[in-house]
Amino acid sequence: MIDKVMKDLEIRFPLLQLVREQHNYLHVKVDKASAIDAVLMAKTSLGFKTLQLISTVDRLEENRFQMTWILENYGTTSILLISADFPREDCIVPSLSDIWPAASAFEREIFEMFGVSFPGNPREGEDFLLEGWKDIPPMRRDFDSEEYSMRVFGERQPREHTDPRQYIGDIVGEWNTPMGAKRARKEKK
Amino acid sequence: MYCNQRPEKPGNKIEVFEKITNMARANSLWVTAYGTGCGAIELRPLHTSRFDMERFGIAMRPTPRQADVLIISGYLATKTLKRVIRVYEQIQDPKYIVALGSCTINGGMYFDSYNTLNVLDKYLPVDVYVMGCMPRPEAIIDGFSLLMRKIKDGRAQGWKHYKENLDYYRENQKKIITDWDLPDYNW
Repeated sequence: MIDKVMKDLEIRFPLLQLVREQHNYLHVKVDKASAIDAVLMAKTSLGFKTLQLISTVDRLEENRFQMTWILENYGTTSILLISADFPREDCIVPSLSDIWPAASAFEREIFEMFGVSFPGNPREGEDFLLEGWKDIPPMRRDFDSEEYSMRVFGERQPREHTDPRQYIGDIVGEWNTPMGAKRARKEKK
Repeated sequence: MYCNQRPEKPGNKIEVFEKITNMARANSLWVTAYGTGCGAIELRPLHTSRFDMERFGIAMRPTPRQADVLIISGYLATKTLKRVIRVYEQIQDPKYIVALGSCTINGGMYFDSYNTLNVLDKYLPVDVYVMGCMPRPEAIIDGFSLLMRKIKDGRAQGWKHYKENLDYYRENQKKIITDWDLPDYNW
């Protein structure tokens, strides 16, 4: 089955990379112009009718986003990964939400987390996980999460002394032992 | 009166009467069944038969209107904080907050996360912190017994502090909830 898929894809598209991970598991890399065509062809003529996942990897050093569409054929239990590189600035990827409605959710999440725009998705820009986010998208690797956290949420001030009696002494004394309760009552008087 | 006025400041009560009601309050803590983070998983063994918190008079209630205690169980995302504020303000007075886990104390393992807050008591008045990641049910029972002692002594006054310093809390809340769409006062 996978042999036939490999042949069909090789005839139709210039494959940049083709890795057969397992006997029913194929990873194909195409260029960005033919990515959506490859996905559609896999669905219509190769039988990969289920979209499992759309994922993005931020390759900051090479200045690109690696998009991956994971498709599954339940009839033959084979999996096909189609990935393509897109430029990192103003990244635009065609939407698949009118072919698989489930793709809409993945695309909204990627838009929110990486800033990749999917024109054609009717719910694009709607809040998915974050509400009212105003900074750069948080899963981009040039987003400094720790700096953001310290700036927005702040840190608890460290203790001035290391003597535990100053912080938990009264609790331990008053609450947990009968002797401590007696002592606390005496001190109150 | 509803949703458009500042909260009334709690007046002075007769001391003896307060002491008696505090004893009653301490022995019937009703908890809102609302889990905000991973710590909610430790509440299930707590209210089923092995640890059985009903022997201390602690019971789960389905709505905030019937409850006294809100448990912040573990990490709190800014998105959840909005819902938590709504739930907390709908609980009738007097009300108490128990915060579980190191995430509520100083961020814990999520100290550098972009959407979980680090210091809970800037946003809500916390009466008892229970440390641990996650605290075992024994630790939570210990925290509840501390809360009961605090209530009996009249020291669990977080809800009064919240009403008197509402501006301080609101300012902090609005600083991190950028799309504030709650009513300003929902009691």
